[in-house]
Amino acid sequence: MTSQEPIGTQSPDTGAYAASARAWIRGNLTDALRTDRAHVPGASLGDKIAFEAAQHRAGLVGITWPKDYGGHGLTLREHLEANREIGLAPMPNAVNSIGKELAGPIIMAVGREDQKLDLLPKILKMDHIWCQGFSEPGAGSDLAGLRTRAERTADGWRVNGQKIWTSGASKSQMCLLLARSGTAEDRHKGLMLFAVPMDSPGIDVREIVSIDGARSFCEVFFNDVIVDEANMLGAPDEGWAAATRVLSIERATNRMYRAWRFQSEIDHLVAACRSDLRAFAILSEYKRDIAEARIAVENLKGHVETLVGDLLAGQQIGPRGSFPKLYWSEAHQRFAQVAYEIVSRLPANAGQPLADLKARMELLYFSSRAETIYAGTTEIQLDIIAKRILNLRKAG
Amino acid sequence: MFDDLDPKEFEDTARTVVEGCADLADASARAAMLGEAGLIGVSAPESVGGLALPLDFAVPVVAAAGAGLLGFPLIESMVLAKALAGVNDALAGEIAAGETVATIAWVGVAEDGVVGGAPMAAEAARVLVFRADGSAVLAPLGNGVTAEVTAPLDVDAPEARITLNGPVEGIVLSAEVVATLRADATLLRTGFVRGSAERCLSLAADYAQDRSQFGKPLSANQVIRHRLSRDRLAIETMRCGLTRALGPVPGGDAALARDTAWLSSAKAGIAVAESAIQVFGGMGFTWEVPLHRHLRQMRAQASYGAAAEGTEALGARVLAGRDNDWYGEIAHVV
Ligand SMILES: Cc1cc2nc3c(=O)[nH]c(=O)nc-3n(C[C@H](O)[C@H](O)[C@H](O)COP(=O)(O)OP(=O)(O)OC[C@H]3O[C@@H](n4cnc5c(N)ncnc54)[C@H](O)[C@@H]3O)c2cc1C
Repeated sequence: MTSQEPIGTQSPDTGAYAASARAWIRGNLTDALRTDRAHVPGASLGDKIAFEAAQHRAGLVGITWPKDYGGHGLTLREHLEANREIGLAPMPNAVNSIGKELAGPIIMAVGREDQKLDLLPKILKMDHIWCQGFSEPGAGSDLAGLRTRAERTADGWRVNGQKIWTSGASKSQMCLLLARSGTAEDRHKGLMLFAVPMDSPGIDVREIVSIDGARSFCEVFFNDVIVDEANMLGAPDEGWAAATRVLSIERATNRMYRAWRFQSEIDHLVAACRSDLRAFAILSEYKRDIAEARIAVENLKGHVETLVGDLLAGQQIGPRGSFPKLYWSEAHQRFAQVAYEIVSRLPANAGQPLADLKARMELLYFSSRAETIYAGTTEIQLDIIAKRILNLRKAG
Repeated sequence: MFDDLDPKEFEDTARTVVEGCADLADASARAAMLGEAGLIGVSAPESVGGLALPLDFAVPVVAAAGAGLLGFPLIESMVLAKALAGVNDALAGEIAAGETVATIAWVGVAEDGVVGGAPMAAEAARVLVFRADGSAVLAPLGNGVTAEVTAPLDVDAPEARITLNGPVEGIVLSAEVVATLRADATLLRTGFVRGSAERCLSLAADYAQDRSQFGKPLSANQVIRHRLSRDRLAIETMRCGLTRALGPVPGGDAALARDTAWLSSAKAGIAVAESAIQVFGGMGFTWEVPLHRHLRQMRAQASYGAAAEGTEALGARVLAGRDNDWYGEIAHVV
């Protein structure tokens, strides 16, 4: 090792965009919104929504979207700068990440101009929170097995079926719905995307409690829901084909702050343990694990920054988006396991900083279990790499 | 400035030259061939006959050396040619041209009397020995400085132990020059391991598709596919980490990016070679299949680059950190 400097006395990002993002977060992230303040009563949903709308006005959100659609018309470079600062701060996860990082880019790719002008600004202003109605009880990894049907009517479509694991459905105004016009045997044929208002008659939402105690994901039932022709996104088949292309880029670029958030969790662990000699002694037993976690953070930055560089250079990234998703989810889970073990050993009379840490790391441990499941499980990412990157044969 | 040059082309050239080196008898002959092709002086200044290109261009060359099991202290020669420029241009030029074979004893300091981890010192004319104060001496091998090869780990570029009888005389490199030399070597070593691991994966992927058991290729089995996918992820992680470490690191810590890219590649490269041996089954356990040679050279590099100690040291640095000002208000007692 050549450097003996303590980690993190690193120079802050000199980019102007990063500096203004940092200043804004400093001025606007209240204790109630912070994720490292378990002893402070948490912010309400309304407050979180207002905070997110303010982030957009301040230039932290919608950075790469065209100005015509409410965005800031900048590049992934500024997006990356802002996300470094977002990650380093103990900021709550976005309420409307599905809108901003999934529905929005898909609408941008396949929507009609009138749809873009109408729907996109509402996402950034937080008038429309979106949910993603893809998974079904019988169609998870094998999404092409979905059964939710859309039948033609005189002036639109009639939708029947059931979605599950629909994150945020109970607080959403809109659903990005994946349905089919034929039967489940058609597999990838006849798939259609719709923008469905959640207050449409016939939609029934039931919250599901998850292992971290949250009530975020839901079951969503569609009983004879009438969807206007105008709410179809792209033509049948085409919409879905374009959406999968968008999704592969999104997998690589969404939640770009993840490496820096991961770093900030390590920073929090170290800072809080340094407030108590007994805690620091426990932490010191895990020196090697902490080193591995910090290495993983830098590796993840490598994945993300290289992909951003390639995208800015106009390269296709294809299935490479699987790499950062797979790498982050597993490394982050390993850290969460170590952090959980450390906080589980803290003395009962530890002070406030350690109590706050304990709450955060216990939650992290449970919530991180989802990271290898959603957005394509670990096994599915490994299949993608084997098939589409290594091109491994299955038959002789 | 280097817009018209592509590091990728250097890798192609280097691969051909490294293949050619395999047929040559000794380190001197390989030095001449590598020097002739301009590969040793890629990053050395023009004043000593180098190409003065950034390390981005040297990395593909060492990656090809790692892939091709090159029997030559290439990383050592490259960093010495660069570090000696301005100190002793004549010798720097000889090393860059492949006229003199020089190496570095990576393990230990002169004060110990014996230093180790000097690849191919038995065939070298000079060896760089570090000193406790951070400086180093480039000493001629011979009188008072003797190399001895005993059961080397790396069979392609066998490392020697160097016995120092009395004070070491030679060209002195300052601690500052040595720090840069070490930093350069860390990046090059990462590239070398990347090349070696990549070759292991490509051998394993080919074998898995050619060999049939139970009436289908090994690669039809999901456990094998997923194993190879994980190895591919490891290589992508090395590639991206190195790309990041080679560039300016905006909003980050360049030394940390370099150190972590090396520490993680050292471990991951070894794991990819071990994994490839498993995919080859009994064949993988034979001396003939070159996977063990890759494993050996990567293990040797891990020791030259002090990967195990480095990970410990990094842990200590992280535990000492009080950097993120979001947690600045927590009062520290340690
Ligand atoms: C927190 C959370 C939020 C989510 N939010 C949403 C959302 O907003 N909208 C939405 O549409 N969906 C959402 N999902 C659903 C998510 O996309 C699915 O859970 C995921 O695709 C896996 O599907 P499944 O649960 O049916 O598991 P299954 O597909 O049944 O898989 C079960 C296990 O089998 C493995 N497996 C499956 N197929 C293979 C195979 N071919 N080879 C090897 N192993 C295999 C899987 O990897 C997994 O380990 C969310 C899930 C979670 C956990």
